[in-house]
This record gives sequence, C-alpha cells and structure tokens, in this order.
Amino acid sequence: MGVLEIILIVACAAIVIGVITASIIKKKQGKCSCDCGGDCAHCAACMAAQKKKQSKNI
Amino acid sequence: MKRFALAGNPNCGKTTLFNSLTGATAHVGNWPGVTVDKRDGVYKKCAEPVQIVDLPGIYSLSPYTPEEVIARNYILDEKPDCVINIVDATNLERNLYLTTQVLEMDVPVVVALNMMDAVKKAGDSINAKLLEERLGVPVVEISALKETGLKELMDKAFNESKKIREGQTVLETSPLGHLIGDVKIALKGQNVANPLFHAVKLVEQDEIEAEMHKETLPMVEDFKKTYNDDIFGTDFEALVADARYKYISSNFASVLSKKSKDKTQMSKSDKADKVLTHKWWGIPIFLLILFGIFHLTFGEDLLYLGKIFSLPSLEDLGLLDEDGEAINFGVRILATFYDGAVMSPGVWINNVWNDLIVGEFFGWLGGIVEESGMAPWAIGLINNGIFDGISAVLSFLPPILVLFLFFSILEDSGYMARIAFILDRMFRRFGLSGRAFMPMIMGFGCSVPAMINTRTLADDKERTATVRVIPFFSCGAKLPILTAVAGAIVAFFGVGNADVITFSMYVLGIVTAIVCVLLMRSTTLKGETPPFIMELPTYHMPQFKNLMAHLWDKTKHFVKKAFTIILASTIVIWALTHFSFNWTFLEDEQVNESILAGIAQLVQPIFTPLGFGSQLGQYGWVFVVAAVAGLIAKENVIATFATLAACLMAVVGLDFGELAIDAEDGIDAVQAMIQATGITIPGLIAFIAFNMTTIPCFAAVATAKAELGNKSTYHWTLVFWLVASYVVAAIIYTVGSWWWTIFIWAVVCAGVVGCIIWRNKMAAKRLN
Repeated sequence: MGVLEIILIVACAAIVIGVITASIIKKKQGKCSCDCGGDCAHCAACMAAQKKKQSKNI
Repeated sequence: MKRFALAGNPNCGKTTLFNSLTGATAHVGNWPGVTVDKRDGVYKKCAEPVQIVDLPGIYSLSPYTPEEVIARNYILDEKPDCVINIVDATNLERNLYLTTQVLEMDVPVVVALNMMDAVKKAGDSINAKLLEERLGVPVVEISALKETGLKELMDKAFNESKKIREGQTVLETSPLGHLIGDVKIALKGQNVANPLFHAVKLVEQDEIEAEMHKETLPMVEDFKKTYNDDIFGTDFEALVADARYKYISSNFASVLSKKSKDKTQMSKSDKADKVLTHKWWGIPIFLLILFGIFHLTFGEDLLYLGKIFSLPSLEDLGLLDEDGEAINFGVRILATFYDGAVMSPGVWINNVWNDLIVGEFFGWLGGIVEESGMAPWAIGLINNGIFDGISAVLSFLPPILVLFLFFSILEDSGYMARIAFILDRMFRRFGLSGRAFMPMIMGFGCSVPAMINTRTLADDKERTATVRVIPFFSCGAKLPILTAVAGAIVAFFGVGNADVITFSMYVLGIVTAIVCVLLMRSTTLKGETPPFIMELPTYHMPQFKNLMAHLWDKTKHFVKKAFTIILASTIVIWALTHFSFNWTFLEDEQVNESILAGIAQLVQPIFTPLGFGSQLGQYGWVFVVAAVAGLIAKENVIATFATLAACLMAVVGLDFGELAIDAEDGIDAVQAMIQATGITIPGLIAFIAFNMTTIPCFAAVATAKAELGNKSTYHWTLVFWLVASYVVAAIIYTVGSWWWTIFIWAVVCAGVVGCIIWRNKMAAKRLN
C-alpha cells in the first residue's frame, strides 16, 4: 500500500467520522437542520448560525 | 446594544424590512404566517449598532396560536428599547387595531407606514403628519421592498429609544375608560409593569392575563359587575374590540384619501381572483399551472411541438456520426436544447449542466485519478464510489433550481395563498382547514420548516394530522429520485413522458395526504375543523432579489449536503460493498458476497409485494439498500444507485455501448439498476411512491419529534409513515402489474370506510 492509498483511507475515515460526530453534536445541542441553507429562522441550526455570524460581525 | 422589535400584522412586510435593515436573506413569502419564530440581526447605520428582532405576525396582542404568543411575550418580557410597528398602508384601518394595543405598553413606539409605494401607485394618499398627531408617536412613510424611508425610520426609532414613554389607550374616552382606569390604578399599586396594557387585557378577559394575575382577578370581576352594555352584554372582549374599531374609524378614516370613490370598482387583484379562485375553475386552474411548471422543468418536447410538427432529429439532419456522437462542438451545444423536439428550459439547463459542466469536470478528475498510479481498489473508491455518487446527486441541481424558481414565483406573487383558499373548501370536508395547507405547500420545499410552520395551527389534532402528511408533499431532496426514475423509465422502456410521470407523482402525494387526513380525522384524530380566516395578499410582481435569495439558499444547502452527508454515505456504501463479513476485500464482481448485500438480502423479501423484493433475483437488494440509505438524506437514494452501478456493471456485464450508460448521470445509474435486476415499470413507480411517502430524512424525523411533543404520538407517527408508504406502494405495484387487483383493493377500501362509518355511528349512539 502506497502513500496515496494511506492518505485516501485516512481522508475517507476523517470525512465519515467528522460527519457522524457533527450530526451527534448537533443533535445533542438540539439543533436540527432544514433545507433552507442557513437563513430561515425556522430551525435551531439556522438560528445558531445567524447568532454566530452576528457575533463575528460585531 | 439597543434592541428594536419589529411588530405588525401577518404579511405586512416585517421580514422584508428585517432583510433590508440587516442584510439578511430570511425567507420572505407573500402570504400570512411565513415567520413562526423570532429572529435577530444587526443594523449598523445608526449612531451605534442596533439589534433588530423580527417577530411573527400578529393581528392582536391576545394570542391564539403558539407563534402569536412568542411575539406578545417578547414585547412584554424582553422589554425592547423601541417597538417599530409596521403598518400595511394599503390596509390602514385594520392594521391600526394592533397599533392601538402596542400603544398601551410602556415602551417607545414608532409606526412605519409600509407599502407606501403601492398606496401612491393606486393614486391614494395618507396624511402621515395627521396620523402622527392622532397616534401621539412618530410615523414614517417607508417601502421595505424598495428600501425607501428606512434611514429616517431608524433615526427616529433611535431617538425615541432614548425617551421614556408611558402607555396610552384609545379606550380612555370609551364607556370602558373608567373601568380600565380603576384596574390600572389597582395594578400600579401592585408594582406591575405595563399596568395599562394588563388592565385592558384583564378587562378583555384574556386567558393568559387571568392566569398571570389570579390575585387581581376577583377585584376586576367586582368592577365589571358594575358595568353592562345594551348590545354586547358582559362580553368584554367584544366590547373592547368594538370600542377600538369605533375609535379607529372615527379618528383615522380622514387620514386616508382614496382616489376612487366608486366602491364597486374592482382592483386588478380582485379581477384576477374572480378567475383564479373560482368555485369550479379554481382547482383545475391550479392543476393546470402545476402541470405547466412540470412541463417547463422536465418536458423533453416543449409544448409538444416535436410531435405536432414531426420535427427531424439530429440523426435525420446528419449531424451525428456513426457512433451517434455529435459531429462537432456546435452540434453538441445544439443537442442540449434540440433533438427532434425543442426541449423545455429545465431540460436545456440540465443538459448544459450535465453534459458540458459536471460530466466534463468529473471526467477530467477521473482521468487524473486513473493516471495517478494508485492501486485499482483506490481508483475504484474515488471514481466509482465518491465521484459517481456525488456527481449523480449534483446532476439534479438544475431541475431542482428551475422547479423552485417557479414555486418561488407562485409564492412571491401571492398565488400560493389563493391555493390555500381554494383548497379550504375541499380540505374542510376531510377535516382540515385551508390554513393547514400552507405548511403542506412549504413541504414542497423542505419538510423541516413545513413541520415547524404547523405552529400556526391552534388545534393539536389538526396539527398532528398535518405534521404526518407533510412528507407526502415531495420535497426538493426527493426530486432526484423522481427525476432519475422517471427519466430512466422513459429512456429504458421508451414509454411515457418524464414531465407527466413527475407531475403524476406529485399529485399522488397530494391525494395520499388527503386520504390519510380523511382517515385520521375520522378515527384517531377526530375533532372539529377550525374556522379558516385568511387575508388574501395583493398580487404583485415577484421580486428578482427574493427569487435569487431562495435559489441561492437551495443551491448552498444542496451542494453542502452533497459534500458532507452524501459524500460520507457513498464512502460507507462503497466500503460495505467491497468487504465481506470476514473483512476480506472484494472485487466489484463479488458484490453479492458483501456485507451490504448480506444484510439487504435478509430484508429483501419484505418488499416483494411492492415490486422491488425477491422477484428481482439476486441483485434486487440494491433497491432495499437505496431506500434505507434515503432515510439519512433522500438524495442518498440516487448516490447509492450510482455507487452500486459500477459493481453491477462489472458483474452483469452491462452493455455500455448500446445504452450509453454513464454512472455519473443519475438517470443512467437507474437504467443500470433496471438492466441488472429486471425491475418492471410498476415496480419502479412503486419504488418512487414508497420513497416519497415513507419515513422522511433524519432531520425531518427529529423535527416531527420536537413538534409533536408527545412520545406516543411520535412513535405512532413513525408507524403511520411506514404503513402508509407500504400500502400505497403495494397498491401501485399490484394494480400496475395485474389490473384486476383493483377490485380487491376496492373491496379492502370499502371495508375500511365501512368500519369507520360504523365506528362513528356507534360513538354517536353512545353520546346520545
């Protein structure tokens, strides 16, 4: 197995673990996500994203 | 930081103003009830940054629905530095009803007269100075849409926020003035904040107030006993409302000068409504518009010109070589919008995107990977697993955007609100009000906000029934399944039209929703249908900025999803199809020995009555895997097909040359599945129906859990989705395969209906 293959395996594992972890964290924080793209004020994920954006702007 | 709250009637333009002030792109719709939760942003053009809070629309401060409570509680409890009361200037008197209540609070208020451009366009005028004098608070003329008067509004609000304002009521001069005054003094003695507002609400017999001031209630009741009205008796809520409207019409009618004195003259909106909301023509026109949208998005023969005029194909014109390929780049471009028929705009954009952009890009990337010198399994993982999966999903971006552009036009123009009005007549018979249809329409976009929007429904049972049927309104994520399978049916079997199949599946979703609502409202969720009062917004030209904002949101989310959830899923699916239970690496040809195949084959027989189970032979499990992967995100169904296509191509030895199959295209991936498994058209239609009506994606399920609250209701909702999808798909497959089974289903349906009628009769008997 070459370097490229090892990098590929690590990257794939990181993507899968990252996505699963992010979903678990989101769920634990009570943030569900919708299909709006982050600006809808309907779901908790969007509201959290807006607040984060806002605090950055200030 | 100072905080300003935006309060006003539904659909008066609060969110448009919020977006203009804060630069946000919050969802705006031309119908009442778009916003169901408060949201905030920052306005930076005042002397110091100001936090702007957009509240859900309310008609009065005596709330009935959960989102109205949010607005009232925010103003009362969070004590904003200023309330900007947005008043729809085209409906002045009705909007001032809320204003008279906001003025009763001890909070600085500025009135924003919105839609002044529409008032001026109609030739009318409003004397803002006179209105300001009579209200006793600053009044600013604005147009949130055209962004005029906003600076003046914010400057005035900023100045007002520095002042201390005591609440005033227009009821002072009414016969109730004394009563309210006495209660106010009593509340002031108890150090209650906003004593005037609470006094009025207590006199009004507001339920929330009665709960909040239990100790004051007996005293108020004693005061009330000294009062009786000739017309309303002791109905104090009606008394207060009547006094407010009398004050508004006697004091503010002169503020508005109408150009036309002829009250019988109809506006353009009224004239349009005469046709579009007609008792008989309303629903057929709606279906026609819906079909038109699908034809323009998916139709491969625009207006059926190709069939009518027997237009020549590119082959007939000698523009293709012996292999059926375009002879030059110009012909390749021509082929994107013409081949024996003019293609609809949706198909044209789709062809350009897939043939000239996505196809080329992923082809180029695939070439680089091939030449990288990596091991064959790694090349397979990247090209057949990741690239094919992602590109198959991305290939559906154009139809999704085109379809949602049309839906956004309908919403922004004000037609969506009319659909709720038209369908109220029909829905009422099935136990739902037209109000419940608004969240359902939102379900065409995404089930998550749609389920949250059910907060606008006051009745719990109506709300539960609505949440349950929302997933039947095919969302954007299900569109790739519909488009891919419909496209594959047309391409592989050479029957039907993609636009007709897609349209039919959308209608099937609506019909399933109606039938399920009827069943639920007649059995477990029985209850009275709440009255439906909805203000129909004026038609207006859709705003380009709004339309683009909607599309940008969709694109952003779709691409983000493709490179996160879909990417992770394709990797997992590839891994599960390339390892056996004893963790030995498998070649593509050994896919049937994989972990995924082993598990899916166990479940496969369950789907036999639906047409994609055991009858499909040894590779039929791919449909089971796709349906289960769709629970994570519905786009996963097509990504899974694309990832599995490469394995099946290797094992079955599919002929690419004849079919011109390329797994990067979702439609081609489904064709590969058809050729490998031998699934029939009824089986494919049943597969679409099952995916459309079964348990939605994880995000929607989590939302349903949160919105339904009750654990038992939530668990029954999951069971309901599974049973409904199984039955619908089974009916489609069996009737599609053996037409005579329609009689068996008819008997079953008659039996169910008979049981419901008998049960209802028995219940009525017991009540008597």
